[in-house]
Amino acid sequence: MTALVVGMGAVASIGGSTVEFFDSLCAGYSGLAELRGFDRSRYRAQHAYEIDDRPGPGRDETLRASRWLEQAVGAALRDAGLDDDLADTPVLVGTTLRELRSVELSWRDGVPFDVRDLHFGTALANRFGATDTHTVANACSASLYTLGLGMDLLDVGAADTVVVAGVDTITESTYGLLDRCYPEAPEQVRPFDRDRRGMLQGEGAVAVVLRREADGPGAGHRHARVRGVAMNCDAYHPSAPDAKSIALVTREAHRRAGIEPADVDLLMLHGTGTALNDEAEAQAVREVFSGVTPSPWMTAIKSMTGHTAGASGLHSLVVAVETLRSGVVPPILGLDNPIDEVEGFRLVREHAELASLRVAQVDSFGFGGLNAVAIVEKVS
Amino acid sequence: MAAVDVVVSGVGVAVSGIAGPDDLLRRTPAGAQGDDPARRLTGKGLRYKDRATRLALCAGRDALADAGLLNDPGLTVPSETVGVVVSSNYGNVDTICDTVSTIAAETYVGLSPMALPATASNVIASWLAIWFRLRGANLTMCNGPTSGLDAVNWGRLLVLAGRVDRVLVVGVEPANAPVRHLVSGGRSNGDDDLRLFDGAAALLLESAAAARDRGVEALAELGPYARKADQPAAVASIRRTDPRPVDMWFGAGAGGPAGMTEQTSYDLTAYHGHCSGALGVLQCVAGTAWLSGHDRGAVLASADGDGSDAAAALLLTAGTRPGPAAGDRR
Repeated sequence: MTALVVGMGAVASIGGSTVEFFDSLCAGYSGLAELRGFDRSRYRAQHAYEIDDRPGPGRDETLRASRWLEQAVGAALRDAGLDDDLADTPVLVGTTLRELRSVELSWRDGVPFDVRDLHFGTALANRFGATDTHTVANACSASLYTLGLGMDLLDVGAADTVVVAGVDTITESTYGLLDRCYPEAPEQVRPFDRDRRGMLQGEGAVAVVLRREADGPGAGHRHARVRGVAMNCDAYHPSAPDAKSIALVTREAHRRAGIEPADVDLLMLHGTGTALNDEAEAQAVREVFSGVTPSPWMTAIKSMTGHTAGASGLHSLVVAVETLRSGVVPPILGLDNPIDEVEGFRLVREHAELASLRVAQVDSFGFGGLNAVAIVEKVS
Repeated sequence: MAAVDVVVSGVGVAVSGIAGPDDLLRRTPAGAQGDDPARRLTGKGLRYKDRATRLALCAGRDALADAGLLNDPGLTVPSETVGVVVSSNYGNVDTICDTVSTIAAETYVGLSPMALPATASNVIASWLAIWFRLRGANLTMCNGPTSGLDAVNWGRLLVLAGRVDRVLVVGVEPANAPVRHLVSGGRSNGDDDLRLFDGAAALLLESAAAARDRGVEALAELGPYARKADQPAAVASIRRTDPRPVDMWFGAGAGGPAGMTEQTSYDLTAYHGHCSGALGVLQCVAGTAWLSGHDRGAVLASADGDGSDAAAALLLTAGTRPGPAAGDRR
């Protein structure tokens, strides 16, 4: 079964709409800035890719993630020609940190927070009357996992229209622990560069409306075709990735999509700028795409969005869709000296490339060895 | 959606004072004097694992063993044929709260890097996968009061969609000060009557064909599931899809199945406290235990949503189906 992307919405540090988001990436505009909402004296790292919507400098508030999720879902529904009444339409929300930033503010500062807002069903019920909502906490591959689950719901006939989404906000607990773990504090996310120091968190939300291709786009668009999504688990380490398992899930995605590695024109890398991810991902790409010359075009948007965690997989998918349509591939910022493992890869650097593309692969990996890979295709 | 039958082939439980799934049917409170179930697993591999993860590993191991899937070491089936679905709303809340407290007192320097994986809410599912080598699709549902029943349905979907042959589903919640703070809106200090569930329940779901191929018994079969705005709507949806009489209802509140008596209704939270994300899985384990003692019958599990965004319901039946369905199968 194939599905159509019939509506999209995206929010991030670099833009509040899909158009702004994609244009920023193509222009090489980064959302990197000094920390806005935390007490900076508590950290060595000082930067992140935050959405600049807090009530004032150094002041944080609850429920920001819920707000962006509503914004992204609302935009995707409008784009899909659907009204704001979701009722029984399934909404799957991928996230790493849920509303845990609100929990932090409640526990440490005594800011009121209702436990019913910890999962996103409450916000989605209030705003869209949605009842079949599911908060899927699948770490940084969460939203691409929800894409796979959404495809399964369509495939088994459990729904005709599915909204898949992702959202994450920066939390102090994760920011502080990353700061504790890296040898040096990163000043920016530099995927596949020798001088990369690790990842910095980004904020954002994203939503995509899916329908079975056989049923047509309804009132929405034929933005792109989803040919298949594979997902697996390394069962190896709670935070380190496993190149073999990534190669396996990539091959499984190709099999489900009915394509060969040589069919892939564009590869949206997970590319977090951590030592471990970039090496393991490059190794898996090298193994799967061995003998494919030239390699697919490759890019990694976290160099401008930061690591948007649970939202990052679908953020990359939205970029893949826009890139297939426009032929403009955004660059990887800060990639000055590529690591040896990516030698021969057609990485887009410094400025956007123009290319005629048909098939894109989207990578998304998370803590716990959670891997998801999607194959999308241009609809002519 | 019923082209493939999905059955329960193993159950496990890790709750203080409860020796096994059958014990859940005794209408007695979880034993305050019982042994800590998390102590049933030992070894240095447990260092740095949070309480929810330890509880989940205990219940998960029992369900895998009950389903005949544990070898020594490893599994009796290929690791990529087994998925994991965890339901927990509060599993890593303690790590989050302890970490921000440490940052406030000592800056980031005071933190232990070993806590990093538990900041992500999927840490329980990831340790289950690592501990038992389960390489199939791996999900964590943090979906409020309905999360446990939702998780059971997602486990079924992974099987129906052909992603895996079987799924370990675990519902788990830990009781601790940060959870108490969160659940009570900051009002509970531990001396009041807020009772939090502290434990885990696990089910092994499997396609009926895969269970048959392994020669294991189906303890129960999954029937329809619904997540709706409230309990009456969720239960009505189940009754429309499968109108057979309900013999036992695990649930509470308005809008349950008609005609239930005190003997045929069982509110697990009355004995085990606020179960949150563990509830639905605990209900299904208890329901499976009930069905195991009967040749036929149907058990309805429902979560009334506790004033939250939605309610959910799920039907469990004994393997054989009366009426037209049985005729169809000759």
